[in-house]
Amino acid sequence: MSWRGELNKVYSATYKNWIISKRNAFTLFELVFWPFIGLISIGLLTRFLEVGDDMVAFVLVGAIALSILQISQIDVAYILLFDLWSKSIKQTFVAPIRGYHLVLGAMLFGVIRGVAVFLVLAAASRHLFGFDFLAGGVVTVIVFLAGTFITAASIGMVVCISILLFGQRADVAAWTLSGIMMLVSGVYYPVSILPGPLQILSKSIPLTYLLEYYRSAYGYGDHQILLGIAIALLYFAASLLILNLAIERARRTGMMLRLSE
Amino acid sequence: MPALRAEKITKSFRGLFKDKKVLFDISLSIEEGEIFGILGPNGAGKTTLMSIFSTLIRPDGGSLEVLGRDALRDTHAIRERINISSGNPNFPWSLTVRENLRHSAMLYGMYGRSLSKSVDEAISAFELGSQSDAKFETLSTGQKQRVSLAKSILNRPKILFLDEPTSGLDPEMAMKTRDLIKRIYQEEEITVVLTTHYMPEAEELCDRIAFLREGRLVALGTPAELKRALQIGHRIFVNYDGEIDPLKLRIIPGVMEVRELPGRVEMVFDHSGRAVSSIIKAFEGADILDIGIEEPDLEDVFLELAR
Ligand SMILES: Nc1ncnc2c1ncn2[C@@H]1O[C@H](COP(=O)(O)OP(=O)(O)OP(=O)(O)O)[C@@H](O)[C@H]1O
Ligand SMILES: [Mg+2]
Repeated sequence: MSWRGELNKVYSATYKNWIISKRNAFTLFELVFWPFIGLISIGLLTRFLEVGDDMVAFVLVGAIALSILQISQIDVAYILLFDLWSKSIKQTFVAPIRGYHLVLGAMLFGVIRGVAVFLVLAAASRHLFGFDFLAGGVVTVIVFLAGTFITAASIGMVVCISILLFGQRADVAAWTLSGIMMLVSGVYYPVSILPGPLQILSKSIPLTYLLEYYRSAYGYGDHQILLGIAIALLYFAASLLILNLAIERARRTGMMLRLSE
Repeated sequence: MPALRAEKITKSFRGLFKDKKVLFDISLSIEEGEIFGILGPNGAGKTTLMSIFSTLIRPDGGSLEVLGRDALRDTHAIRERINISSGNPNFPWSLTVRENLRHSAMLYGMYGRSLSKSVDEAISAFELGSQSDAKFETLSTGQKQRVSLAKSILNRPKILFLDEPTSGLDPEMAMKTRDLIKRIYQEEEITVVLTTHYMPEAEELCDRIAFLREGRLVALGTPAELKRALQIGHRIFVNYDGEIDPLKLRIIPGVMEVRELPGRVEMVFDHSGRAVSSIIKAFEGADILDIGIEEPDLEDVFLELAR
């Protein structure tokens, strides 16, 4: 087993995502259209409400984080989604490939797309709304992005896991996960305004910590970024483990065959 | 060491109300360097068995050894050394033929020049050159089948599993594919396990055949052994003019079946061999107009076993 061979197994997922993305118009929507719609409508809302610059920064951080999270989680979900849509799942899983090959390879592409979206949105929000995304320094941006990518990968894996366990239509159930995260992790408001039980829930979501961390650079109180990153890594490891178990389960239940028909 | 040894393999699939058992205690062993056929009617469990053999899915019970390794535990090492072309194959739709093959080769950990070389060889082996830049979704059924066959030789497998390799191919391409299977098999000294519904193909290619029916292994042997075991004899017909005594026909040694039609008799004989002269004697007093002998073929075996 050579390291170049291993690398190419990882890169296989990057390669597939790259080709399918460059060939499909919907990618452009994912990459530009929806993030822009999100950013501009939120930005204009702050204008309408005549909030101060610090408040503008607060909500724009949320809007940008959400876009990055969504784009890079779907790249990981594409591990199975593309194969699901073309009914080619068995081609992948008769090959000597492991869960982490697929996840890392797809994540690589998700990181590239996520960074691209970040740069575009940061530049746009600076130009349109005077938001300085580098206020906390480059390191802050990198830590924030890294945490977001790790979190996104876990969500993408949950999509894959639900498909392997429950079949074709389970992907819908998994999209709701992003929705719940958006609700409780304080994308557009501080989590302190949530009702008590939801606040507790928000403490279990890495995105909450990442947002607090990035916002602390704009004068919004404390953060516990180390705890947030630790939780993100924990979820990542757990998702990867469960993904492998789900793959093995799909081999037992025959789901692996059914998904290719 | 056999290339593959299966012991009491069972498999059932979860149904809505109760589980559906599709394989019952399949035990067989496939020798290295053999072309092994799995035949049987639709729904007999051939694809399921191939999927278990290729470690795509797991059996519920039994044990399986592939290339000397435990196929229920050492799956990864086995997958490196085998490959499968599935019937009715699909690949990511928006990738071209070449991109799909490159992607598959990467899944097998190939890289650099050897990757490109394997892909090029596979493309030319299955005459996909003029489609190599066409998206998979634009291919015809037979072309898709060829992509799948091309993919299955990328990693130079030690065991090649082919599920209905020539279904959907035109007669010329089917013949070329059979020749190619034979060539790869001879040059690379590999083991081939295939399923087919085309009996002449099984007869031409397979050293041994396992016959599945409703999830059970009902026969196993060389094509000749199967014919003998089932007592599927030669069919001999005689067209004649005049009168004969049919009783004389029924006492000819080796006769298994006699069917009388006006001016024609159809008989089935076993392989004892001395039948023809006895037949001619039995027709003394009548004019033999025509006599024909048909070798039994696998189609007869299939029809017999599928009953
Ligand atoms: N993933 C699955 N889930 C549930 N049932 C399945 C699954 N795959 C196959 N079956 C059932 O198992 C039985 C055997 O199917 P299999 O595909 O192995 O047959 P086959 O011998 O390959 O048939 P064919 O000649 O039509 O290809 C069938 O009754 C089929 O309905
Ligand atoms: Mg089949």
